[in-house]
Amino acid sequence: MKFSEKEIRIFNGISLVAGIFTVVIAITMVLSLVQLKTIDPLANPAIQIVKEQFDRDVNNKDLAEQVRAMDLMARKAYFSSRWQVETGSYLLLAGALVFVVLQRLVAGSEKPAKSFRPDKPDIDADRVKNRRFLLISAGAVTLLAVISSFVLRSELPSPGSSEAKSDSAGKKVATSGINMPDEVNYPFFRGEGSSGISAGEGFPVEWDGQEGRNIKWKIANPKPGQSSPVIWGDKLFITGAGDGEIAVYCIDKNTGELLWKGSGKDFPEASSEEPESDAEAGMAVPTPALNEDYVFAMFGNGNLVCYDHDGKFQWGKHLGVPQSSYGYSASLVIYEKLLLVQYDSQDKLSLSGFDLKSGEMKWETPRPGRPVNSSPVLASFNGVPQLIVNGNPGVSAYDPVNGKELWTLPGVSGDVAASAAVNSSLVYVVADYFKLVALKPGKTGSAAWEDNSFTADVSSPVANDNFLFMTTGNGDAVCYNAQTGDTLWTTYFDNPFYASPVICDNKLWMLDRSGIMYIAEAEGKLKIISKSPVGEHTDASPAFSEGKIYIRGKQNLYCISSK
Amino acid sequence: MKKFSRYAPYIILLIMFIGHTVLYAQPQRFPRPEFEGGYTFPTHQFLYQRGPLWEYMDVAVLVIALLATAWMVIKKRSRQGLVWISVFSLAYFGFYRQGCICAIGSVQNLSLALFNETYAIPVSALLFFSIPLIAALLFGRVFCAGVCPLGAIQELTGFRQLRIPRQVEAVLSAIPFVYLGLAVLFAATESQFIICRYDPFVGFFRIDAPYTMVIFGSLLLIVGIFVNRPYCRYLCPYGVLQNIFSRFSVKHMTITPAECRNCRLCESGCPYDAILQSDPDAETERPARSWKESAIYLSVIPVIAIGLAVLLYNISPSLAVVNDNVKLAREIRLEKNEGIKAVSKNAVAFYESGKTEDELFAEEQKITGRFRKGAPWVGLFLGLSLGIGLFRLTARSVRKDYEPDRGRCYSCAKCMKFCPVKINN
Amino acid sequence: MDENKNNRESRRDFVKAAGRILLAAPVLALPVILAKRTDVKGFVWQIDPFKCTSCELCKSSCVMTPSAVKCMNAFPMCGYCDFCPGYLRQGAKTFNTAAENQLCPVGAIKRKFVEEPYFEYTIDEKLCDGCSKCVKGCYDFGNGSLYLQIMHNLCVNCNQCAIARVCPSDAISRVPAEDPYIRKEIKKL
Repeated sequence: MKFSEKEIRIFNGISLVAGIFTVVIAITMVLSLVQLKTIDPLANPAIQIVKEQFDRDVNNKDLAEQVRAMDLMARKAYFSSRWQVETGSYLLLAGALVFVVLQRLVAGSEKPAKSFRPDKPDIDADRVKNRRFLLISAGAVTLLAVISSFVLRSELPSPGSSEAKSDSAGKKVATSGINMPDEVNYPFFRGEGSSGISAGEGFPVEWDGQEGRNIKWKIANPKPGQSSPVIWGDKLFITGAGDGEIAVYCIDKNTGELLWKGSGKDFPEASSEEPESDAEAGMAVPTPALNEDYVFAMFGNGNLVCYDHDGKFQWGKHLGVPQSSYGYSASLVIYEKLLLVQYDSQDKLSLSGFDLKSGEMKWETPRPGRPVNSSPVLASFNGVPQLIVNGNPGVSAYDPVNGKELWTLPGVSGDVAASAAVNSSLVYVVADYFKLVALKPGKTGSAAWEDNSFTADVSSPVANDNFLFMTTGNGDAVCYNAQTGDTLWTTYFDNPFYASPVICDNKLWMLDRSGIMYIAEAEGKLKIISKSPVGEHTDASPAFSEGKIYIRGKQNLYCISSK
Repeated sequence: MKKFSRYAPYIILLIMFIGHTVLYAQPQRFPRPEFEGGYTFPTHQFLYQRGPLWEYMDVAVLVIALLATAWMVIKKRSRQGLVWISVFSLAYFGFYRQGCICAIGSVQNLSLALFNETYAIPVSALLFFSIPLIAALLFGRVFCAGVCPLGAIQELTGFRQLRIPRQVEAVLSAIPFVYLGLAVLFAATESQFIICRYDPFVGFFRIDAPYTMVIFGSLLLIVGIFVNRPYCRYLCPYGVLQNIFSRFSVKHMTITPAECRNCRLCESGCPYDAILQSDPDAETERPARSWKESAIYLSVIPVIAIGLAVLLYNISPSLAVVNDNVKLAREIRLEKNEGIKAVSKNAVAFYESGKTEDELFAEEQKITGRFRKGAPWVGLFLGLSLGIGLFRLTARSVRKDYEPDRGRCYSCAKCMKFCPVKINN
Repeated sequence: MDENKNNRESRRDFVKAAGRILLAAPVLALPVILAKRTDVKGFVWQIDPFKCTSCELCKSSCVMTPSAVKCMNAFPMCGYCDFCPGYLRQGAKTFNTAAENQLCPVGAIKRKFVEEPYFEYTIDEKLCDGCSKCVKGCYDFGNGSLYLQIMHNLCVNCNQCAIARVCPSDAISRVPAEDPYIRKEIKKL
């Protein structure tokens, strides 16, 4: 189609008008759209004010009319902008169509401009230039890659790198990934992370408490108790109860000097009641927990106290007197800013988190089942930190930050006293006369393996990624393949075990009730290195710090060191 | 007593309001009424989407339109016919189907389906992805020429031709590669569908859109009047695939219907600068490059590819921010570190949802990990594209005819009228 | 010379054919790879009323104007209250249809007397703009029978729902197209 110049001029004119029309419609539409999307017709302040007036004077007919009139206006405005958008869009379309069609006609009737390019491009020169580009861009990209490797990699750790690093460190055994073993501090029952794995080396393997060989110091326990010693820096803490006194004692770990004692009942809401318990147990069974500032101690009557490391009282709480057939025994653990307390009583089972500083209860999660004597254990699976409670009849994991239950799996029942053992992939729980079971943690978890030929009674098993070690109430010691459950070795000692075995310095330390420490290689082949007695009855688990071993006997507290 | 009954609801309400702050579950506060008068619940009509049968109709229309375009540009050599097909496509895929089902966006559906077991891709989306590519392999970019509604709207509004300097063109036409790479990566990690989100014209097709979209689309159209097809050239991610596939096409539109006379008349006929000039003297005047020289330049390609792969691997954690969960996790971590209570709407909703921070952080780790995995491949693709593109430019071209650059030519048939060679058919 | 040229051309043809096969293969193989992951019937977006927190973003975020999200009443859950917290604004002193008492900004809720003391509330979807004020009212003070749904005669089924992208409570997800509504009265928790 070819048109005359005059026609083209007319086309141009019309299309110009159509174009302007389209633009105007488009602008009003955009404004209406914005209005429709964001404006609430009744959110008009004028209407609000009149409505408030009306609310104060409900019977005022005039005000009511005023509200109605304004309401009508606002809604009218809203619906007319809705109408504008609906019809406007068709007008817009029509305008655009006219514009496009006419422009096409105009463009179509123009003759092709037969203009040559001013010159033939110098293809050869271009090619040389492009070669340079190729090399330059290769250089630039390489440079950027190198720079980014240095600048960006360092600030953003790749997932899982923290675990990878600890593996490469070598001497630390891969554990939960949460609270890695520490050479100096031994802050909870069964050490850092409550896992039974301790760091450090150079511990003596031979000693004799009677002869005094390799005994650095020995003091009489201030008061009896079943709790185990814990250590922070140069200070060692134990709890004791007797003769109406319940207290936490701070002892210089290098000299054995008693630095201070903090009462467990000298605060307003404290209970001085002594609930009935197993004669062996008493009030001081739970092991205290430590962080760099404070010591927290829980007693069998439900008193929970916090002191700083210099013995200054911080806060105290009474959680209710636990009623339990063997006595209250759960030890404390700390996760980040919270003290975690597993509370077991006939009338109430719970897990709660307390603010370290103020003692304020941040959350409390009720737990199902029956009371147990196990202690909570910190673990981390797939990067999710969790607190494992060996309950009866289920094993549960809780989020240590907010106490939410993460998962529960069928575990063990009967007299549940041993705490769970964990490694990086499995949870192990055991109850005497029932069974030992390895669980794959998680909502969809299940039993990986189980065994009932050996079952621990009070002593808790300990696991690394290769082996699970367990000592029983009959005097057996067993090593399992942690992943498959194959029994790798077993041996029988003369006396039962209450204290929990500890893996430290590649050795397995097993303390029996007669005070003999059996030291074996923490390997899949049985090799007893030595057995060393302290010479008195022992139930508490030993503590390890800076080449020294601390053992609480029934009468005395020993510091064992070869230096 | 009557007075009391009048205020009773408020009293109940007050109690309930207090109760509500304690209870999070929704209680049945008011009992279900027992009607005496035989009341029945009003029925609500639940309206459905168009049935799936219609989507196969779309596929059929697509195939027919592709074949028609191919016939028009390769056999009939009719620009006018192509314009009519464009009008039809714009009307059907654009205004009638409202721009949604779209080959450009289907790249993301495909990527999501390939890398996520849980997502089932609609068959029509799969077909809309693959059929135009097969067509490109057979006939060149006929999809872009007349079927794609985004191409059509630009084709029909490109009245003038403004030539872009070659260097600028070269730099701008690298954008679609990056866009494609990121779109695939973001879709594969379930983060964003950026192609759909930044679709410029879908607002026109629906005659309703967020105003930002309308403004962006209008700007593109206005620019497109002079610099034709700006979206296709400088943004369209699907165009990248069309470009690659079209280079290997079995048949392709030609500028001249018969023998090229090297008259140079078509040189300025292409608005996209997609005509490769003939260089008949090249062979006689310039010797072929030695193998050794070629090898050096060839070896640069993997260097660029690996370099970009490393670069993308390194910046992938920063890219992961486009994922809402990652963004939220970082926000919450930042707030935690600064000791501020989370206040953003998403953070508040997150805390209300009962999900734990650790779950969120684990999710963040997972998604960041997926970005880590995917990003180097995107880098590799970008590097190879860049490297090969530049390498080709360094090679000697021996061409005795003017012919379209099969990668960049949209088969719009505008150049045909410049060719003085005519055959009567 | 000619031989040279022929060589080059055959080489070029070979490269082209190889490239063609190389490109065609994955595209043709796609349906096979995705055989288990294709869906014939398709998916549509829908709001889970049990997750919805009536944040009002549905009104402003939808690509459609007014939003394709509309309010619905689950009649079997409705209390048919005279004092309807979804119909009447907070602070309303009288329970009637007067404009000063209405909560809905667009007057989309219709109140009809059924029998003493019950009133039926229906929603005029043409007017509703999905602002969810009534939903919030009904959830906070009533039975929660009012809830939001994406109306599929209006929804254009975007590849990525613009509301889902901003929804703070993650309430919008893909549901099978055959069963595109999550009806609150049926799918109770």
